[in-house]
Amino acid sequence: MYKVLAACGAGIGSSMIIKKKIKNVFDKLGLEVEITHESLGTAQSSMDKYDIVFTLAALAENFPKDSKNVVGLKNIMSEGEIEEAVHRILEV
Amino acid sequence: MNIIIKIFTAIFYNILSKPEFFMGLLVFVGYLLLKKRILEALAGALKATIGYMILQIGAGGMVKGFNPILNGLLKKYSLSASVIDSNFGFAAANSALEAAGRSLSSTMFVLLIGFAVNIVLVLLKKITKVRTLYTTGHIMVKQAGFITWMILFALPQLQDTVNIIIIGVLIGLYWAIFSNLTVEATQNLTEGERVFAVGHAQMLGIWITDKIAGKLGKKEDNVENINLPSNFKVLSDNIVGTSLVMLIMFGTVLLVLGQETMAEFDGGALKNISYISYVISKSLSFTVNFIILQTGVKMLVAEVTTSFDGISGKLLKGAIPAVDCAATYGFASSNTLIIGFLFGFLGQLVAILGLVVFRSPILIISGFVPLFFDNATLAVFANKRGGKRAAMIIPFVSGMTQVLLGAIGVMAFELAAYGGWYGNLDISTIWLPFGIIIKNLSIIGVILVGIIMLIIPQIQYHRNKENYF
Repeated sequence: MYKVLAACGAGIGSSMIIKKKIKNVFDKLGLEVEITHESLGTAQSSMDKYDIVFTLAALAENFPKDSKNVVGLKNIMSEGEIEEAVHRILEV
Repeated sequence: MNIIIKIFTAIFYNILSKPEFFMGLLVFVGYLLLKKRILEALAGALKATIGYMILQIGAGGMVKGFNPILNGLLKKYSLSASVIDSNFGFAAANSALEAAGRSLSSTMFVLLIGFAVNIVLVLLKKITKVRTLYTTGHIMVKQAGFITWMILFALPQLQDTVNIIIIGVLIGLYWAIFSNLTVEATQNLTEGERVFAVGHAQMLGIWITDKIAGKLGKKEDNVENINLPSNFKVLSDNIVGTSLVMLIMFGTVLLVLGQETMAEFDGGALKNISYISYVISKSLSFTVNFIILQTGVKMLVAEVTTSFDGISGKLLKGAIPAVDCAATYGFASSNTLIIGFLFGFLGQLVAILGLVVFRSPILIISGFVPLFFDNATLAVFANKRGGKRAAMIIPFVSGMTQVLLGAIGVMAFELAAYGGWYGNLDISTIWLPFGIIIKNLSIIGVILVGIIMLIIPQIQYHRNKENYF
């Protein structure tokens, strides 16, 4: 079971959309996943608990530069970017 | 017969007129339609109910916390004041509705009717030319609450049921037509891909920005050429941004009011602590209530969207989803967001200073949500077409507009007593004039506003027939 976090400024709107897209990608790949959506503030303190953290490109800079599991999405409606990141980070 | 009426009345008063149970019931039915198991449906209903109850605590806390400050301003300077923020506006509208003896469930009926109207408009897109479905649940909840107050205020003579249907239809038209207006602008931003449109509360502003930004500056000279201190990026974190705005705004107001005045209206909270300590904790308490309200909205909306998704997903293949304005932040850098926020704030401060200098009877206090989400979003669109110059000018003008129209709105719709106005641009640039038209022309005004909205996508279509759908 993978643990994935979707983060945005308020942790309500766009992170909710990202969450749905992540679910679709993991379902398609046949991987089990637990997805949480949170605000940036909460995400920064809990990011270590997750295999991947997805957020919007402009907000990715709010996470430490050297964190390898943070992915800043350009187009949050495109599942392609998420799928690419899942393959790259989880090596599946 | 009598017993049936009794049962129906009991259901109405105990479930339907309590918005938390009404939303729970709705989610329960939605989940059953999605063929989820009963226990899962019950869990979803429970979370939606708890979410609504949490939201009410946050909303109540905001109004209650602001009350002593309102009283202080009134006593010392004979000033009314309002925070221009979607959360404060929502809380104020809820209090106003309750004070007028209305059930808050009416706002949830309005939301449902509005959502259904949007779906119908998209289903009939050959005729209506509407391509988008507004899906941003948390904004729909807050707008339904606020617009219900505005239109009820404008049409007090009508019967409740008629009113709720009218408001639901109008808000559904607004969601559909103005999100449809952002399709081309968003497409310019994403460079040709048409995957989403914006469904938020500055949709008219986005359309205008897309039209004029190119004339205000060169897109090659963009915001990346501005060197901002890297610490500024923390402002896009809601908690930090909100706290900062609250400390600046309420801190100033409270320091001007002084200890003596506040001791009279908020004495309990001032006991045994220094005034500075009180000012800081009072200002931050608004962030706390903001987060409580947001937490409730998040729980409620997560369940409602999941249960609505099944319905809209099956009905609407090929509609463009209109989503949160933050979706555009993927196509921008953090520099853009911060420039938009800072210049919007500057515009608001200049306008607030103007209100004070010209002795306006209403004092406007900045809130975080419109400040950040409207102005950062406009900066994203402005920067794309007109570079850094447009990304500074447009949010600055937007900030001034938010304050000045907000002040007019508070006066026109008598929300000063509750201290809040839904400060986002659409409410002030679209709903304020609509509300005034309806207030003056009654039903004729309603029809007029409906026709104005329905014509907009027709004009869009006739200007761009080939690439429209």
